[in-house]
Amino acid sequence: MAKARAVLKRLKAVKNIRKITRTMELIATARFKKAMDRATQASAYTNKIAELAADLASSATDFVHPLLEGRTEQKSGVLLILTSNRGLCGGYNAGVLKLVQQRLRDAKAAGQQLRIEVSGKRGINFLKFQKIEYDKTYTNFEDKPRFDEVESIATRFISDYTAKTIDFIDVAYVKFLSPAKQIATLESILPLAKPQVKTTGAAAATVDYEFLPSAKEILEEILPAAFKARLFKCFLDAAVSEQIFRMVAMKGATENAGEMISSLSRQYNRARQAQITSELSEIIGGAEALK
Amino acid sequence: MAASKNLQIVLVTPETTLLNEPVDSIRLPMFDGQLGIYPMRSPAVGRLGAGELRLVQGGTTRSYYIDGGFVQVKGPVVSVLTNRAVTAESLSTKAVEDELQAAKVRVAKTDDEFAAKAAELAKARKRLALAKRGK
Repeated sequence: MAKARAVLKRLKAVKNIRKITRTMELIATARFKKAMDRATQASAYTNKIAELAADLASSATDFVHPLLEGRTEQKSGVLLILTSNRGLCGGYNAGVLKLVQQRLRDAKAAGQQLRIEVSGKRGINFLKFQKIEYDKTYTNFEDKPRFDEVESIATRFISDYTAKTIDFIDVAYVKFLSPAKQIATLESILPLAKPQVKTTGAAAATVDYEFLPSAKEILEEILPAAFKARLFKCFLDAAVSEQIFRMVAMKGATENAGEMISSLSRQYNRARQAQITSELSEIIGGAEALK
Repeated sequence: MAASKNLQIVLVTPETTLLNEPVDSIRLPMFDGQLGIYPMRSPAVGRLGAGELRLVQGGTTRSYYIDGGFVQVKGPVVSVLTNRAVTAESLSTKAVEDELQAAKVRVAKTDDEFAAKAAELAKARKRLALAKRGK
């Protein structure tokens, strides 16, 4: 009996686990849809800013801005790491942190000073474990990053960059390409790329704008806004990707639990049957002996 | 161009698209004053200041408080890009007065801080005026 009971206990445990992972999968799916909606809504702003910047850049070609100029010597910079606060999301954090380790090695080899800022408890714990020093931590970004929170970080980056205390800003995060594809990436977000001037062709039917006050002055204002939008997009991408990773991981876990349940119940039935058989033969044996 | 005798307002913040609908006229807070837009306005790009965005549609007027940003007029579509936009009704006089008070008591030591404080005060006063009128 002992064996059958032990198997039964395991079977119950696995069934409970399957319930939990199934629920987590459903929650992640719901959250993913919400996060996805937010990301699509936010893209309206980013696209418009990019369109405006391109329009303006074509009218003010000799434009210079502190956010556009790259430094010849990349001595010190900021590495912003976006990870999740919670685990059980497959290779989500591992992918980002692998890139971070690589980047840190490169920085060490090149003699660069890296200031590390990390968002998410998983990243913080990793750095603590690796005994890597970090500058700032954020744990307030969950699946709904808010713009004003991101904006305060972006404003600080802009002032540091214009004051020339940092030469570049890199972000390590999981980029969302499509619901089926997300990749961990390391991107340099400052200096900004020059706004793309539309090339001649059908798309270049430029409108003759009236500028209030002037193309140059508007461009000066729009570049920080574009940078903020870009950083915000990184946070949104990370949030969407996290939910997808969790969804996939939990789907796998649920499936595995299902397989385990069927193999365990087979084991249990065998054990039960074997026990009945042995009991029967004992009874028969006992009856035979009494004859 | 004669065909487009209508006007479309698109109000977007980094988080969401708040408005995308036809209106009769728009009044915008620019960096140096106000700008009124009627249908068939020539294309323009402008920098916004903080203040009231007023929309008139069929005799009713709606107000939003917007916090800087940009406007693009292209054909019948007026795109307003701003970091923050709230309806005038949702501004509570009490909360805005508190914000104004908080801005007033802040100590500004450097030129930058002083400028930030002045900007904050001006914005809070505009919000207050809007909140009071909304009641």
